[in-house]
Amino acid sequence: MKIDATKPLEYGSEENSNKIFGFWIFLGAEIALFSTLFTVYFVLVNRYATGPNGTELFELSGVLWETFLLLSSSFTIGLAVHSMRLGLKKPMMIFFGLTLLMGLGFLGIEITEFFTYVHEGATISTSAFTSSLFVLLGTHGAHVSFGILWGASILLQVKRQGFTLATANKSFIFSLYWHFLDVVWIFIFSFVYLKGLM
Amino acid sequence: MKWDEFFVTGEPMIYGAMASIVLATIAIIVGLTYFKKWGYLWREWLTTVDHKRIGVMYILSALIMLFRGGVDAIMMRFQTAVPENKFLDAQHYNEIFTTHGLIMILFMAMPFIIGIMNVVVPLQIGARDVAFPRLNAISFWLFFVGAMLLNLSFVIGGSPDAGWSAYFPLASLEFSPTVGNNYYSLALQISGIGTLLTGINFIVTILKMRAPGMKLMRMPMFTWSSLITSVIIAFAFPVLTVALALMMFDRIFGSQFFTMSNGGMDMLWANLFWVWGHPEVYIVILPAFGIFSEIIATFSKKNLYGYTSMVVSMVVISLLSFLVWAHHFYTMGQGAMVNGFFSITTMAISVPTGVKIFNWLFTMRKGKITFTTPMLYSLAFIPIFTIGGVTGVMLAMASADYQYHNTMFLVAHFHYVLIPGTVFAVIAGFHYWFPKVFGFKLNERLGKHAFWWIAISFNVTFFPLFFLGLQGMTRRMYTYSAETGFGPLNLISFAGALGLAFGFIILVYNIYYSIRYSPRETDGDPWDARTLEWATSSPIPAYNFAVTPNVKGRDALWSAKHDNQPIFDGKIEPIHLPSNSGKPVILGAVFFVFGFSLVFSWWIPAIISGIGILIVLASMSFDRDHGITVSVEEIMETEKKLRGETL
Amino acid sequence: MMKQLFPIRHVMGYLTSLILSALALTALLDIPFASKMAILAVTAIIQASLQLFVFMHISEMASTKKELYLNIAYALFVGLVTLFGSMFIFVWGWYS
Repeated sequence: MKIDATKPLEYGSEENSNKIFGFWIFLGAEIALFSTLFTVYFVLVNRYATGPNGTELFELSGVLWETFLLLSSSFTIGLAVHSMRLGLKKPMMIFFGLTLLMGLGFLGIEITEFFTYVHEGATISTSAFTSSLFVLLGTHGAHVSFGILWGASILLQVKRQGFTLATANKSFIFSLYWHFLDVVWIFIFSFVYLKGLM
Repeated sequence: MKWDEFFVTGEPMIYGAMASIVLATIAIIVGLTYFKKWGYLWREWLTTVDHKRIGVMYILSALIMLFRGGVDAIMMRFQTAVPENKFLDAQHYNEIFTTHGLIMILFMAMPFIIGIMNVVVPLQIGARDVAFPRLNAISFWLFFVGAMLLNLSFVIGGSPDAGWSAYFPLASLEFSPTVGNNYYSLALQISGIGTLLTGINFIVTILKMRAPGMKLMRMPMFTWSSLITSVIIAFAFPVLTVALALMMFDRIFGSQFFTMSNGGMDMLWANLFWVWGHPEVYIVILPAFGIFSEIIATFSKKNLYGYTSMVVSMVVISLLSFLVWAHHFYTMGQGAMVNGFFSITTMAISVPTGVKIFNWLFTMRKGKITFTTPMLYSLAFIPIFTIGGVTGVMLAMASADYQYHNTMFLVAHFHYVLIPGTVFAVIAGFHYWFPKVFGFKLNERLGKHAFWWIAISFNVTFFPLFFLGLQGMTRRMYTYSAETGFGPLNLISFAGALGLAFGFIILVYNIYYSIRYSPRETDGDPWDARTLEWATSSPIPAYNFAVTPNVKGRDALWSAKHDNQPIFDGKIEPIHLPSNSGKPVILGAVFFVFGFSLVFSWWIPAIISGIGILIVLASMSFDRDHGITVSVEEIMETEKKLRGETL
Repeated sequence: MMKQLFPIRHVMGYLTSLILSALALTALLDIPFASKMAILAVTAIIQASLQLFVFMHISEMASTKKELYLNIAYALFVGLVTLFGSMFIFVWGWYS
């Protein structure tokens, strides 16, 4: 395999660069996916039948914590990639681990949020509005959950093998995924929660 | 679990089908064991990551599905051949037209096209495989599993029966309480994931793995069409993913997306389905256009006329295809402004296609034309598809569409674009590239017989349907009274359908006949063609090209043969190939269990197989296999054996 | 050491994102609807761009820069058409 030493390790072979490029295309497809979920939400947002609407359900404090955690985890994964490019394994692993922990924190708050909604009588079956709320938030949450599992497996590989063409490539691609989830959250924060509370 | 709802009971034809499935399965297992071919099957086909083998598997699957979809069609035409026929009752008719549509579009046309793309595109760009070979194998097995799930439905649990478009509220749990439409949601979801991955794979392959010198504007037109199709796939299929997931949530988890109460909006399903559905029909037609471009140029011995406008027209089509979807439901209740907007975009999208028709005609002008079987299909395509196209413009006008919508006029229109478009193209492509893969041509005499039967019978079958539609016969109607006067034209249509069946039987017989009697060719270029795939031997070695080709213009092979522009001027170097892998087929099997469990709402197996999917994915992540290297000696040996000469 | 581990671009990007999120909260004040939507849209778009350019390094490889922009553009095209087209059909353009 020809290694290009002028590029960071994650781009260092043709196969590596192609994988990163391919993952960007996948993120384009994910943009289409989440746009569809947002479309469904906006079409159904006012169809809450006899159930609660957003203003009654949403609580700003939980949302602010979720936003802070996800934004900070995006920061730490960026720092992880930066450390990786400097060849610093321990800092990279610490930043990576912090990212996953904050992801877990985010999930904890979101799961509590869901349980609260159900407790207050807003389940997935209550109305079109609650269905679309749960599926939009839930799809994002499922992506975060999958990401945590995926990230953990990559962290383990970095621990065992250090920075190789393969582990650097996977770590960088994971960071793209994680940043993308933060982008989606920004729109959820703004147009689901804030708009709902307006 | 109500076990009498598990196996479909009470239908003689379905009992017959169950028996055939069991017998065929036993025959396959016995045959493989007797001929000691399990190892061969596993090593050479089930674990392959080679794009050529994967392509062959797609095409074989598509041919089998063509048979099943065709039988559905014959049954429908037989039922409607005379008024008040008793062959099929309404429920059966519903299941059959649903299955016919799903199979023909998603499990025949898509795999046939993707199979041809798999075989041809890496060769056309001078590459050794696609960008992500193991992902490619996953795509195939996910498609296969989706197809298996759908095919199983009519014997276990019941077929979906709400049309291939599965509109709500009919497709909701309330009006379709059996599991049929669960199969719909899960089979399409699983194979849809496979297709999305294919789209991504081919975008990277075509943009990043072309041979040196092959700039974008030097690529063969089929590769261009594959690139643009892959882009449409990447952005359209996620919409289907969401739509199917919401359908599953409504039917299995009680959500209120498409219900008629609690704020649900049944029309939202139709909206999402067609946001995907319209780009989908361009996904099946653009590669067909690419195939015709290759064949027409080759058999006119001329380069393709208007290369740039061919590319631009496909880019424009890809963008417009996302802007027309509401024309599928003009009559559903949105206002005139909406219908006006979509009428304009729909009429606009016919323009770039028209440009292509003229380019094909100009390609043939002053060319040296040979009337081979692939060329005959391409020639027939031009006028017959045009009929489909212009009737599309008729349908595009929303106000007029209030008369045509969901009548047989619509059915005639889309068969007039799908069959002369997609089906003729894949048959032509099948004849054209067959010798490249297998080293012998399909018999020309039989090929031409099949062509004439198919081309003429097609018109006999579908032209009357335009008039039936204008007379007021609606689609998806299992019978009609004699007083309507629909009888005679339906009878003519049935006669045509029999002719089509006969033509396809000749086509299948041709495959058998040619395997037995066609002379084997050692020349990799039996048609004196123009593009790089014909520069390999037939059959093609695993690594495709011993030396990476060096491309200096369009139609690189033609220039090499006639203008003294050699393409293989490098030296042989060791070649790195990916290893086979059993994980894609295992992943497929686990997805099958997962899908089947969800169809029947068996939560424990679903959770276990869901975790199984994650485990297989994790094992792929921890995989450290970096492939095999083919040495220079081995390459030279192989080339000598295949070509009978050295490079 | 700290300068190595905490590059200024990333730190500034992070702080800006936090500020933008806080700014978005002003949409909850008593201002006209159009202004609320504008604030939400502008803060979100700026934050998303920050992610794309500063954190995801979308433009760092010359060999893929154009294709990646095109990719995002096409994705946004499809997403926005789906969103606004559906809103047009079901809300703004509904039969009256």
